[in-house]
Amino acid sequence: MKKFTELVTPFASVAEDENLPGQDLSWLKTMRDKALTQFNEYGLPSKKVENWKYTSLWELTQQSFNHQALAVTVSQQECQGIALLDDAYRVVIIDGVFDAELSQLDNLQVGVTIRPFSQSLDTVEQQLGQQVSMDKVGLTALNTLLMKEGVMVHVSAKTMVKKPIELLVIQSGTTDNLATHLRNMIMLDHDATATVVEHYVGLSDLSCFTNVVSEVVLADNAELFHYKLQKESKNAIHIATLAAKQAAGSQWHTNNISLGAKLVRNDVHSLLEGEKSHTTMDGLYLLNDAQHIDNHTRIDHLVPNTTSNELYKGVLDDKSHGVFNGKVIVHKDAQKTDSKEYNHNLLLSRDCEIDTKPEMEIYADDVKCGHGSTVGQLDKDQLFFLRARGLDEVSARSLLTHAFAVEVLDRIPNDTIRKAMSIVIEQQLPTGER
Amino acid sequence: MLEIKNLYASVDGKDILKGINLTVNAGEVHAIMGPNGAGKSTLSNVLAGRDGYEITQGEVIYKGDNLLELKAEERAQRGIFLAFQYPVEIPGVSNVYLLKAALNAVRTYQGLEELDAIDFLSLVREKMQLVKMDEEFLYRGVNEGFSGGEKKRNEILQMALLEPSLAILDETDSGLDIDALKTVSDGVNELRSKERSIVMITHYQRLLDYIVPDFVHVLSDGKIVKSGDKELSKELELKGYSWLHSEGPAA
Repeated sequence: MKKFTELVTPFASVAEDENLPGQDLSWLKTMRDKALTQFNEYGLPSKKVENWKYTSLWELTQQSFNHQALAVTVSQQECQGIALLDDAYRVVIIDGVFDAELSQLDNLQVGVTIRPFSQSLDTVEQQLGQQVSMDKVGLTALNTLLMKEGVMVHVSAKTMVKKPIELLVIQSGTTDNLATHLRNMIMLDHDATATVVEHYVGLSDLSCFTNVVSEVVLADNAELFHYKLQKESKNAIHIATLAAKQAAGSQWHTNNISLGAKLVRNDVHSLLEGEKSHTTMDGLYLLNDAQHIDNHTRIDHLVPNTTSNELYKGVLDDKSHGVFNGKVIVHKDAQKTDSKEYNHNLLLSRDCEIDTKPEMEIYADDVKCGHGSTVGQLDKDQLFFLRARGLDEVSARSLLTHAFAVEVLDRIPNDTIRKAMSIVIEQQLPTGER
Repeated sequence: MLEIKNLYASVDGKDILKGINLTVNAGEVHAIMGPNGAGKSTLSNVLAGRDGYEITQGEVIYKGDNLLELKAEERAQRGIFLAFQYPVEIPGVSNVYLLKAALNAVRTYQGLEELDAIDFLSLVREKMQLVKMDEEFLYRGVNEGFSGGEKKRNEILQMALLEPSLAILDETDSGLDIDALKTVSDGVNELRSKERSIVMITHYQRLLDYIVPDFVHVLSDGKIVKSGDKELSKELELKGYSWLHSEGPAA
C-alpha cells in the first residue's frame, strides 16, 4: 500500500501543474492553500473514522489518476439522447471540461444566471466553501484544491425559473483513470424558485474518479427542487458532498438517485437555520453485482418551527453492499421541530448486505420526531397472487420491485421529471433472477 | 374439465390431503364443505399451484393436461382462476395495472392481441358494474386499504375480466356482511355458464343459498367423505360436522 505522503504529493503536484481557474484571485489562492494544508493533515478518510466504518477508499490509493482528459467530441444528437430533459437550460461538462457548443444557455430568463464554474469565480467569493467543512475529512479539501469546473446557478429575488436546469456531466470513457473535481454552486435569493437536476453519466466501463461538491444557498422563502441522477461507469468511484444552508421559510426538496459506479459515497447535509424552513431529503439506490453505496445524510434543526422529511429506499441484488446512515439533530433551541426519517431496503439475493442506521439526536423537549428502517425480501404471498393471475415469475418479481421503489419517485412533484426518472429506473431495476 | 384422482399432498412432511377423488364437468358448480383443518384451502392451493406442497400420490387432469406439471402462471393462462380467501394488498401496483397485465397474460397465451387502452377500459368498466365497484378503485394500489368486502368484490372483478374455464372460490363468503355477500354472489351467478366450472370452498351453508351448487361434497381429514346435492348442505347445517363422525365415514 502506498504511504499517505506519497498519495498526497501527486495531488499536490497536480495543483502546482494544473491550469486551475482563478489563479489571479488572492482569496481563492488563500482558500486553496488552506485546502492543501488540510488535505496534508487529514488525507483520505480511513475506516477507523466512524463515518467511514463501512466504506474503504483504499482503492483510490492504488492507482494514479489522470487529471488531463484527452480531446473528445460528443455530437449534438448523442447529447440529446443522453440528457434527461428535452426542454431545459443545460450545462454540459465532458470529462471535466465545459462544452459551450452542447450547452443550452441561450435566452436565459431575466434574473437567472447559469454559468460554468470556471467563468463565475468572481461572483462566488461570499458563498464558496461556506456550506461545507474542510475539517477532518480530506475529500472536500481535495475538491477545493483541485476544483476546476461545475455549474454556478444564481436566481434573483422573486424570480421563478420556468425551465428546469440540467447539469449534464458526461464521462466519455476516452481517458483511463480520469479524475474530475467538480464544484457546483446553486444560490437562490429570497422568494426565488428553481429546479436543478445534476445528471452524471458514463458512456463506457472505464474506471474513473469523480469528486463533486455541491453547495446550495437558499435565502428567505426560496424554494429549490433538486434532483441528482447518477449513472456513471460501472467501474467509477463517485464521491459527492451536497450541502445546503436554508434561511427562514425556504424549502429544499432533494432526491438522490444512484444507479451506477462501483463505489459511491454521498454525503448530504442540510442546515435549517431559519424558522419555518423545510427539507425533503429523499434517495433511491438500485444495486447489483459488487456495487457499493454509502449514503450519509445529516439534517440540523437549529431554530424553532422547522420541518424535515426523509425517505431513502434501496434495492440490492447479487453481492452488492449498501450503507445508510441518516442523522437528524434537533438542537436545543429547535422547539416544535417536526421530523420524519425512514430507510427501507429490499434484498433480492442472499449475498447482498445492508448496514442501516437512522439516528436522531434530540436536545429540545417539544418536538415531533419519528425514524426507522426496515430490511425485507419480496413477499411470497404477493408473488403467488401475481402468478395466479397469469404473470410469469420474472414479471411478477420486477413488478413488485418496481412497486417498492416507486414510492420515492412518487414524491417528485414535477410530472416531466418524475416520468423521465421512471423510464431510467425501469431500465435499471434489478430483477433478482435466480 | 377437471379430474382429481386419488390425490395425496403434504406440507412439511405432514399429510393433509389423503386420497381426494373428484370430477368436475364443464358447466357444473361444486361446493366443497368441511370443518377447519379438513384440507379445503390446501386443495385450492394445490390446484392453483402454490409452492410448498408436496404431492405424494395421485394426479390431476385439467382439459386433458397433467395439471401438476404446470407452473402457477401457466395454470392461470390456461383458464384456472383462484379467488383468494385472503387477497393480498400490493401497494405501488395499481389495480388497473394488475387487471391489464393479467388479462394480457391470458390473451397472449390464447394467441390474441393485447387490448388497447380504450377497449380495455371500456371492458373493465362493464365488468365493474357487475360487482358494483366504483371506478376510483382502479387507480388505487391492489387491495390497498380495501375493506374485506371490497377485496372480495375485487377478486370477482378479476374473475369476470379473465373469464376462466375453472374458477376456484376459496371461502369467498368469509368476512362478508349480508349485502356484500349478495353482491358477490350475484356477480358469481352472472358468470355461471355451460362452459365454465366453479368449485366453491366454504364453511357455511349460507353462501349456497345465494350460489346454488349442483353438487355438494364434504371434506373431512383430507378425504371426501360424503357427496350429494344441495340438500346435503342443509342437513350439515342442521346437524353439524360431528354428525358425519357419529354416522361414521361413508367409506
